[in-house]
Amino acid sequence: MSAEFRPEPEFMLNIPRERVGVLIGPQGSVKKRIEGALGVVLEVDSGSGSVRIRLARRPEEGGDPVALFKARDVVQAIGRGFSPERAFRLFEDGVVLSVIDIADYVKPSRNNLVRVRARLIGREGRTRRIIEETTNTYVSIYGDTVAIIGEEEDVRAAEEAVIDLINGAPHSAVYKKLNEYARLRKLGGLRPRF
Amino acid sequence: MSSAQAEEVEKKPEEKEAQEAERTVVAAPKKTLKWGIVHIYSSYNNIIVHLTDLTGAETIARASGGMFVDAGRLEPTPYAATRAASYVMEIAKQKGIEAVHIRVRAPGGVKAKTPGPGTQAAIRAIARSGVIIGRIEDVTPIPHDSVRRKGGRRGRRV
Repeated sequence: MSAEFRPEPEFMLNIPRERVGVLIGPQGSVKKRIEGALGVVLEVDSGSGSVRIRLARRPEEGGDPVALFKARDVVQAIGRGFSPERAFRLFEDGVVLSVIDIADYVKPSRNNLVRVRARLIGREGRTRRIIEETTNTYVSIYGDTVAIIGEEEDVRAAEEAVIDLINGAPHSAVYKKLNEYARLRKLGGLRPRF
Repeated sequence: MSSAQAEEVEKKPEEKEAQEAERTVVAAPKKTLKWGIVHIYSSYNNIIVHLTDLTGAETIARASGGMFVDAGRLEPTPYAATRAASYVMEIAKQKGIEAVHIRVRAPGGVKAKTPGPGTQAAIRAIARSGVIIGRIEDVTPIPHDSVRRKGGRRGRRV
């Protein structure tokens, strides 16, 4: 190709080592699926958990730079505890990932973390399930982060609920807010249609 | 793949000069690519697409979502982002920019760290405009210990 140096778009990110296996999948199936769906190349360093994401084809040759962002989100979602099936929802346009750090809101002592996580998940996953169902999102609580996958507006509503819960709002108040959101969402009067 | 002539065009100027001296052919020397940086600032309320030179200090073109839609709530939409980006790339072409790096950022700091909904649309529009895309970077400011979040002690009261 050209003799001139042309830098190539790429992303580097790190995921926890125990999630590397999930990212790659049995016989590399998950990795292959990501690469196939988005037209990217993942270079995973199993030792350190660092992942380099490149486009399979250069943007001039038809590679889609947006796929790079999507791939980054999928890898990060898997790194933040999502199962690959749930993370694959990020392949769609308009679906975003948001990661909330619990340590931003409470001092990350062991007791605090366990308490806040328990509040977010609820008995037998009830709270988490309610957040997911009312806002049509996926929520993953992993270590000291909460990750949310869904459409822009929905993710923001779920984020608000999660932050309220972390800050100590009673569950009933959060459920009320969520139900109100679900009602507005159904009526369609909430967001501008693009 | 390429003919000898095409190869010659793609060579670096130094190599080319040497070759030219040998062949004593006077051809217009192909300059190296003219690079620019597109800064995309994407929040939940608007999007700003800003093209600068490589230093980042000289603006070449700039557009925001609000320049293309009337309602405030439409400012961050993919449509506004596409329009803003294609407007900027139009000017870029006039000014002779052939390749761009892309820097994406969300408000960052204590505010939202995920870019708004228009980001991907803007990048698509840039890619479609036909310029060469170099690096893509996420330059959202990530605080290492930061200022207090807005909203006061009692939080945001709706």
